[in-house]
Amino acid sequence: MNGWILAATVELGGAGAAALWGVTTGPPARRVIAQNLTTSAVCPALLLLAQGYGRPSYVDLALLLALLGPVGTLVFARLLSDDLAGDSPSAWALTWAAAALGAAVVVALCVAGDPGRATVKLLVIGALLIGGNLIASRALAGGFRGVAGG
Amino acid sequence: MTRRTARAALLAAGELLAWWAALALLWLVLISTVDTLERIVGASCAAAGALLARAGRRAVTWR
Repeated sequence: MNGWILAATVELGGAGAAALWGVTTGPPARRVIAQNLTTSAVCPALLLLAQGYGRPSYVDLALLLALLGPVGTLVFARLLSDDLAGDSPSAWALTWAAAALGAAVVVALCVAGDPGRATVKLLVIGALLIGGNLIASRALAGGFRGVAGG
Repeated sequence: MTRRTARAALLAAGELLAWWAALALLWLVLISTVDTLERIVGASCAAAGALLARAGRRAVTWR
């Protein structure tokens, strides 16, 4: 157990458990927000675990999650657009907090590692994670409702 | 007319080149070891990706 693994455990135990609780309880609008934030909770934990175990190839899991998580949310936003049209689910404080968490983890890992291609890869993952999170949150809140069926 | 066609071709080539450069760079960043085979495969995949990216971009810019 080192600091990275400890941070990942705290992060998974806090944000991951909160996201799981949000997904399994409450009205659909709340569940769909929590489902979206699950990516932002789990992806930084995977990055921290990859650093903690010293296995750079584990970073690919985080890359895949950062890429596919927001896409999954967009599918939900499209399929549930009729159910969600009334209450426009949004939780911008949580969304920006999740984005800040992702940015903090990526910056910490970039500082800890040697500068090089791995750093650029981390920055790409961070951009995908934060950008995807913001776009998916906006889609859930009805921000793209004018676009071909929302 | 020919000048307009030449200009369009030049723009298309420029866009494809920009997509190819960006995708090839992304490939080089994401692989674990950089060697000749990876460079060849990456350049080929980036070329196919550049064609697809331009087709996709053209498909959505009518809005």
